[in-house]
Amino acid sequence: MKRSVYCILAFCFATSLVGCANDQFAVEKEFWHLQKQAGKILTNPDATPTRELETAVNKFDTFVKKYPQNYLAIEAEFNIARLYLVKKEFSAARDRLSAIVKKHIKSAVVCSEAAFLTGNSYELANNWDLALQQYKKLIQDYAITPRGLSLPIYIAQQYQTKYQPDKMLEAYQEAITHYRELALKYPDSPLAFNAHFLVAKCYMVIKDWQNAVNSLRAMIEKYKGKVALDEVLMNIAVIYDRQLNDKVKAREALEQLKKDYPKSRLVKAATALLKNQGVK
Amino acid sequence: MIPQKSSIALIKKSYKITLDSIKHRPIVYVPFLIFAILETFSLIVLNFAPRQPLVVVFGPPIKTFLGERFLHYPAYFLLLPKLSALSRMVLSVIFGSFLTGAAINIIFDLYQKGQVKLGNSLQSALKKYAAFFLIYLLVTVLFYYSMKICASALLKYFMAGHTKLLFLSAKLWLGPLLICVNFVIAAFIQSLFIYALPILIIDKERLLGSIWKSMAMFKKLFVPTIILVAFPMLIYLPIILLNANSGFLMSKLFPEFMLIVTFAGIVLSSLVIDPLITISTTFLYLINKES
Repeated sequence: MKRSVYCILAFCFATSLVGCANDQFAVEKEFWHLQKQAGKILTNPDATPTRELETAVNKFDTFVKKYPQNYLAIEAEFNIARLYLVKKEFSAARDRLSAIVKKHIKSAVVCSEAAFLTGNSYELANNWDLALQQYKKLIQDYAITPRGLSLPIYIAQQYQTKYQPDKMLEAYQEAITHYRELALKYPDSPLAFNAHFLVAKCYMVIKDWQNAVNSLRAMIEKYKGKVALDEVLMNIAVIYDRQLNDKVKAREALEQLKKDYPKSRLVKAATALLKNQGVK
Repeated sequence: MIPQKSSIALIKKSYKITLDSIKHRPIVYVPFLIFAILETFSLIVLNFAPRQPLVVVFGPPIKTFLGERFLHYPAYFLLLPKLSALSRMVLSVIFGSFLTGAAINIIFDLYQKGQVKLGNSLQSALKKYAAFFLIYLLVTVLFYYSMKICASALLKYFMAGHTKLLFLSAKLWLGPLLICVNFVIAAFIQSLFIYALPILIIDKERLLGSIWKSMAMFKKLFVPTIILVAFPMLIYLPIILLNANSGFLMSKLFPEFMLIVTFAGIVLSSLVIDPLITISTTFLYLINKES
C-alpha cells in the first residue's frame, strides 16, 4: 500500500515538473496570452486607453528580451508595430519597423514585411505618395520575397478600391512588365513559373482575355512535363468558355486536362464543364 | 419481448436496487473509481504530451498521423478530447474489462450472499480476464468502425455532389445528426453485449456462448435493456456538444477549457454512466434469472 502511494506521489511530482518546463510549448502559451490581449486593442483601437497600449507593448518587449532566439520574438516585434499602427502612432510604428529591419537585415522575408508595414503606415496617414514610394522601393529591394511578388498587384488593387481606373490599368501594366522581367532574370525557377502565372492573372483582372490565354499557352509550352499544369488548362478552358465564347477550344483544353492529369482534383470540375457543353 | 408494463417495473426495480447498493454498499463503486483514476492519470500524461520530455515519445506519432500543428499551443487542445477518447478505448479493453468483471462479481456476491470481499472478486475476475478482454475488444472494434463507416459514408455521399439526404442538408447530417446516429450506434452495440460479462461470471458460460446468450437476452429484454443503457448515456451529451464546439470555446474562453471538459467527461463516464449501466443491467439480469 505504502509503495503504491509513493508511486502515485512520484508520478504527480514528475508530471508537475513537466508542466514547469520552459519549452517551446510554454513559450507559445505565453505568446498566445499576449496576443489575446493585443487582439482586444487591434479590434477596438479607439476605445483602448493609452495605458493599455503601453502595457501590451511592454509585455511584448519583455517577451522579445526573454526569448530573443525564438521565432515568435519576431512576431512579437511586428505585433508592437501593428499596435502602434492601429492606434495611429505612426512615427512610433515606423521606428519599431526600422529597428526590425536593422536587427534582421539578413532575412529578406522579415525585412520585406517590415517595409510593407512601413508603407501601410503612410497609407493609414493618408500619404499615398510616400506609401507608393516605399512600396516601389520594396519591389526593387525584395522582389523575390512573397511580399515583393504580390505587391505590384496590391498597388493596382489600391487604385481599384479608390475608383481610379486609369491608374489601376497603368499599375497592372507595370506589374506585367515587372513579372516578365523577373521571369527573365530567374529563368527555369519556381519563381519564374509564379511570375508567368501572375502575368496571366493581371491580364485576367484587366479583362484582356486574349493576352491572358496567350500567356497561359506560353506557360504550357515552356513548362510541359516539368510542372503540373492542370490549373493553367482549367483557366484557359474557363476563359474560352465564358469570355471568348469559343466552346471548341474550351473543350480541347478540358479534354487535355483530363488526359494529361487524370488524378487532378480539377478533373471533376472539368467533367462537369464538358457535361454542360453536351459532351459525355 | 416482455410487455411494456412489466418493462417499466423491471427498470424501476433495477434502478432502485442499483441506487440502494451504491448508497449502502459503496464497495460496488470501487472498480469504477479505480478506472476513473487510471483515466485521470492518462489525461495528465496526455496533457503534457506536447511538452518536454514527453514530446520525445508522443511528438512523432502526433506529427505523422494528425499533423505538426497539433504539437503547438493552442491547437493541441483541439486534439486532446480525441486523444483522451482513444486512450479510453485502450484503457477500457486492457483494464476496464477486468474492473467491470470485478464489479459484476461484487454485485453477484452482494445479491447472493449479502457480503463481499474485494480481493476475492478481483481474483475471480482475473481468472476470466482473457474472455473479458476479448469481449471488450470486440465491442470497441465494432463501435469504432461502425462510427467511422457511418461518418465516411455520409462524407462520401455529400462529396459526390448531393446537397440533401432525406430532405436534410449536409450541415445537419454531418453535425448534430451524426452525433445522434453515433449515439444510437453506441447504445445498440453496448446493449447487444451488455449481458455477456454477467453470463460469463454468473452462469459460468463459455465466451461464444455468453455473447450469443447476451444477444438473445437483449432481444428478450429489449425495452428495459435499451433504456438502462441509453438513458445514462444521455448524461454525456453536454460533453459531446462542448467537444463539437471546441474551437469556438477555446477562442472565447481559454484553450485549457478543453482539458476541463475532457476531465468532466471522464468523471461523468467513469463515475456516473458506467456504474449506472453496469450495475443496473447486472441486477436486471439477476432479477430476470430469478423470476
